[in-house]
Amino acid sequence: MSTALRLVLPVYRAAAWLYPPRFRRRYAGQMHLTLRDAMADQSLPPASLASTLLRDLAQSLWKENLDMLKETASRPLLLFNALMLAALATVLALAFYAIPQQVLRQDANDPQLELVGNAALRLQAGIPVAQVISSSPEAQVNVAESLSPFLIAFDEQGHVTASAAQLNGSTIAPPPGVFDYARTHSEERLTWQPQPGVRLATVIHHLPSGGFVLSARNMREIEAREAQMGQMARLLWLAMLAIVALGTFLFGWLRPSPARVHA
Amino acid sequence: MSLEAPLTAPVFATLLSLAQGEKHGYAIMKDARQPEGGGIAMGPGTLYGTLNRLMEQGLVLETGLSDDQRRRYYQLTESGHAALTLELDRLRAVVTANAHLGLATQERPA
Repeated sequence: MSTALRLVLPVYRAAAWLYPPRFRRRYAGQMHLTLRDAMADQSLPPASLASTLLRDLAQSLWKENLDMLKETASRPLLLFNALMLAALATVLALAFYAIPQQVLRQDANDPQLELVGNAALRLQAGIPVAQVISSSPEAQVNVAESLSPFLIAFDEQGHVTASAAQLNGSTIAPPPGVFDYARTHSEERLTWQPQPGVRLATVIHHLPSGGFVLSARNMREIEAREAQMGQMARLLWLAMLAIVALGTFLFGWLRPSPARVHA
Repeated sequence: MSLEAPLTAPVFATLLSLAQGEKHGYAIMKDARQPEGGGIAMGPGTLYGTLNRLMEQGLVLETGLSDDQRRRYYQLTESGHAALTLELDRLRAVVTANAHLGLATQERPA
């Protein structure tokens, strides 16, 4: 036997296991006999036979598995199951992203809720607003850069009465519609974007005696974690879809359609 | 019969080989290597994949015969004959229609 054949034959025989089981069960014996005949044929140059076998392996393995895959995809029940599993994987991946995202977003309000609650109590107790919220330059929080929570007080008309926050050197205030909602519901929690790229987790409390207290903080870090969650959810989704596809392929590979088994 | 023209080289070579009578796998492979049999080098995987599809389409059937080495034999059905005839007619028509180009009669350099 030539060196080329000595190298190719074990590969060819081992690769026979990669044919769909139905095809293998039906033809492996005949393929083996045919190969034996080809090797015994002195008119066939061994190098030519070796290259034919390698090309045959690549082409027929691909073709038979693709044929099996087409047949699998044409089985309504199997396809339905795969689609249902893909839908379930999509829902799970969305939940994997949405639930922690909501928890992260709600948690982002916690320090502001505490600050607003304390400030409201002190203001209602008659402590002057200047003592509750320091407007001194050294106490100012640059909302674009700092992650620290800050307080702003407003009168009943929504005008700033004291502020511990600045953006580009100016005092900031949310849109007037926000106060209308807080006035009727006593509290409003929202994401406020005073300028593109600056998003603040904001809590506004309406004081019974009139006026509002707002606390907010930059969401940069929270949004970075949300983006990380989104990335993980996408990877999880792709992994689950790959598992569904692989499982469907393997099922079709191992359990061919009964109609074709008896064909 | 559900074959579409033109037939693939392995299908054409297999039908052509079986048109001469019942054959086992290696005999078909050997015929296919001959210039008059299509001149293609098929391996066992391609051969039995082709036979499998031709049997599913009713163009070829197993004769049920087997020799002492358990080789199975295959033969053309009437549909198989018809498919081969159609393909040969198609090829003949192509050759006839293009005869004026003089390509078919040109001798190739050795």
